[in-house]
Amino acid sequence: MRLNKLMKGAASATMIAGLAATFGATLAQAQDSGSDKKYKIYLAMSYSGNSWQSEAANIVKALAKTPPYDKQVELTEVISGTDPQAQISAYESMIQAGADGVISFPISATALNRTIKRGCDQGVKFFMYDATVTEPCAYNVSFITAGFGENTAQALVNELGGKGKIFLSRGVPGNSVDKRHTDGAMHIFDQYPGISVAAEYYSYWDDRTTQQETAKALAAHPDVDGIWAQAGEYGAVQALLDKGGKLVPITGENSDGFRLALADPKMQDMGLKGVSSGSPPASAGYAFKIMMEVLTGKRDLEPMNIQYPLPWVPAADVKLCEGDTFENGCNVFPSEKVPSSFVTEVFNPTLLPELTLTSALDGNPTPGATIQPLPEEITKAPDSPGINCQRCEAPENQYELTKVKATVQP
Amino acid sequence: MNQTTGNDGSATDTFAHVEDRRASSGIDRDLVNIVAVFALSAVLILCSRFVSPALGSWNQVLTILTLSSFLIVLSFGQGLVILVGGLDLSTPSLVVIGGVLATVYGSDGNAFYVLPIALCVCALIGLVNGAGVVILGIPPFIMTLASSIFVASAALGLTGGTPRGNSPEILAFLMKERWLGIPVVVYFVVLFAIVGWIVQSRTTLGRRLYAIGVNREAARIAGIDVGLTEAIPYAISAACAGFVGMMLVGYSDGATLRMGDSYLLPGIAAVVIGGSSILGGSGSFVGTVGGAILLTTLGTVISAIGLDQGYRTIIEGSIILVALVLLREDLFSGLRLRNRKA
Repeated sequence: MRLNKLMKGAASATMIAGLAATFGATLAQAQDSGSDKKYKIYLAMSYSGNSWQSEAANIVKALAKTPPYDKQVELTEVISGTDPQAQISAYESMIQAGADGVISFPISATALNRTIKRGCDQGVKFFMYDATVTEPCAYNVSFITAGFGENTAQALVNELGGKGKIFLSRGVPGNSVDKRHTDGAMHIFDQYPGISVAAEYYSYWDDRTTQQETAKALAAHPDVDGIWAQAGEYGAVQALLDKGGKLVPITGENSDGFRLALADPKMQDMGLKGVSSGSPPASAGYAFKIMMEVLTGKRDLEPMNIQYPLPWVPAADVKLCEGDTFENGCNVFPSEKVPSSFVTEVFNPTLLPELTLTSALDGNPTPGATIQPLPEEITKAPDSPGINCQRCEAPENQYELTKVKATVQP
Repeated sequence: MNQTTGNDGSATDTFAHVEDRRASSGIDRDLVNIVAVFALSAVLILCSRFVSPALGSWNQVLTILTLSSFLIVLSFGQGLVILVGGLDLSTPSLVVIGGVLATVYGSDGNAFYVLPIALCVCALIGLVNGAGVVILGIPPFIMTLASSIFVASAALGLTGGTPRGNSPEILAFLMKERWLGIPVVVYFVVLFAIVGWIVQSRTTLGRRLYAIGVNREAARIAGIDVGLTEAIPYAISAACAGFVGMMLVGYSDGATLRMGDSYLLPGIAAVVIGGSSILGGSGSFVGTVGGAILLTTLGTVISAIGLDQGYRTIIEGSIILVALVLLREDLFSGLRLRNRKA
C-alpha cells in the first residue's frame, strides 16, 4: 500500500500538471508575465489531499496574490508526494531554477538537510512551516515546541479530577511530532497515579481512522473516562456518539466539527468537555510573510526557529463566526460553510488580517486587502533535539505548562 | 464436473475400480474454508475476553460487523475481479470519488438520484478499466493503477483538496441508525452478503466468471462472450468501491481525499483469506465475508492489547500467515486422502 501511495504521489505530481487546466486543479502555476524583478518563490508541499495541507497552501497562494505581493512574487507550487526522495529532487530543481525562496512543508526533519544546505550556500532562503528540519540554515516556523501535549494533557487531567481511564489517540507511528506531543502528554499523565492509559492507538491525524480506532478501543473499554487526541479528534466524538450513552471529556486539535461539538449544549449535557488546540495551518501564512519581509529587506533576521503561538480554545471560549474571518474573538464557522474536517486555525487577526474564508478554501485574495506588516517581535522556539536542532539539549523546563494550571494535585 | 461424472453411468462404471485421487472437488474445500474462517473469528472474539473483560460481548460483535461492512462491500467487487484472474488497484481512488460525489453534489433532497448517478459514474470508470484490460490487453495491475491515478487527481481537482458538504440523510441513516438495537448497516451487510453470494455462485453471470477464471480459452470455446463478461467484474468492483465511499461518508459525516487508502490491501487480503485463489477461478463470497470479518476482528482484538504499534503489526501479520497456511488446499486434500485411505 505504501508503494502504491508513493507511486501515486510521484506519478500524480507529473500527471496533474496535464489535468490542471481541465479540473482547475491546485497545482496552478501562478506565473504572471510582464513585470521586471519578481521574487521566484516555490511552495514545496508534500501532499494536498487533506484539509490541513490544502488550507495551508491556499493561504500562501492567497497572500501571494494580495497587493503588493501580487506584483513582487512569482509563486510556483510543487507537490512532491509523501517520500523524502521526491522532495529532495523537487528542492534540487528549485535551486537549479534560481529560486529566491522556498516555503515548504518538509516531509522529514533530517533527510532534506544536505540539499537545504546546498541551497542556502547559493542564497536560497528556506522557510519551513508546521513541520521542521534540523538544518540550522533553514528557518522553522512551527507550533510544535509550544507545548500542545502537556497543556492538553493537564486540561484533561483537570476535567477528570486527577483520576480515570483514558485513551491516547496518536498521530503517525515513528513521527517526531507525534513523539514530542505524546512525550509532553505522558510527562503530565505519569505524575497522576490515578490516571491509567487504557488504550493507545495510532489514528494518522485523520478523522475516519480516529473514529474506527476509537470504536475498536471502546469495544474493549466501554467505561473510558476521557480521550486525549491529536488531530482527527472529531472522529473520537463520533465514535462515542455511535456507541450511544454518555460522552466524556476530550482534548483535541482544531477541526471545525470538534469546536462546534464543544459549544453544543446538547453535547455538553451528554458530558462532552475539553479544549481545542494544536496545529494551525496559519503558520504557513506567517512563514510566508516573514520570508517576504526578509527578502524585501524590511526585516533583518538570521535563520532561526520561530515559534507560532499555540491555539487554545476551551469549550467556554468557542464562539461562532458570523462573517468569513475571525472577528470579535470568534473561532468557529457554522457547518453549512465548511466541512467538519476544516481546520479552523487558518486565521490570526494580528498576524494575518489579510485572510478570509475564501482564501483558505479557494486560495483567492480578499478583495481590497493589502499586506499588513508583521509585529516587530518574533518568538524564538526552544531547542528540541531531532525536531529543530541536532546535537542540542532540550531546556529543563520544556514541558512547563503555559496555557493551563494544574487544578488537581497528584 | 462432479455431476457430469456422476450422471454419466458408463463413466462411473469404467472408473469404478480407480481410487479417487482428485486433489479436491471444489465445494467441499470451500465449505471447510468458510467454516474455518468463521470459526477462527469466533474463537478470536471469545479469547479476547482474556484481553479485556468487556470484549467478547454482543456489543463487540456489533462493532466488528459495523467496521467490517466497508471491507465486505469492497471485497465483493475485488473478489469478482480476482475470480476472473485480474486485480483491481483502483479501489482506493474509487472509494474517494464515490464519497466526494456524494458530499459535493448530494444533499438530503436530491440523494435519491445523485447517489445512483454517482454509482453509475463509478461503474463507468470500472468499465473503462475492463475495456483497457480486455480490448487493449493492458495487464489489470497497470490498467487499474493508471486509472486510480486519474481518478485520484480528478477528485483532487474537483475539491481543491477540501471536499465540502455533509453526508446526505439517507447515508447517515444507513450507518448511524439502529433497528431493534442492531445497527441498520448490520441488516444491510447480511442482505448484501446473501445477494452477493447468489450473484457469484447461483447466477449465469457468476458461473461464467468461474469458467473464465479457470480457463479462458475453454470458456470461449464453450460459447461465452469472454471479452464482455470479463469486463463486468471491473464495473461491479468500481461501483462497490464507490458505495464504500458513500458508506464512509455516512459513517463519519464527510469525505476526505485519503479515506480509501486503508482499504486496498485488506480488500485483497479478505478475498484470499476467504479461500479464493489469487490466480482466479475459485472461491466463494461467503468465504470473503468471513475473511473480512476475521481481519476486522483481528484489528479490534489487537488494538485492545496494550502493545506498541510495531509488535501489534507483527502479531497481525503472523495470524494472517497462520490462517493462510492452515487454509491451504493441499493441507486439506492431504488430510482427506489420509482419511480415505484409513
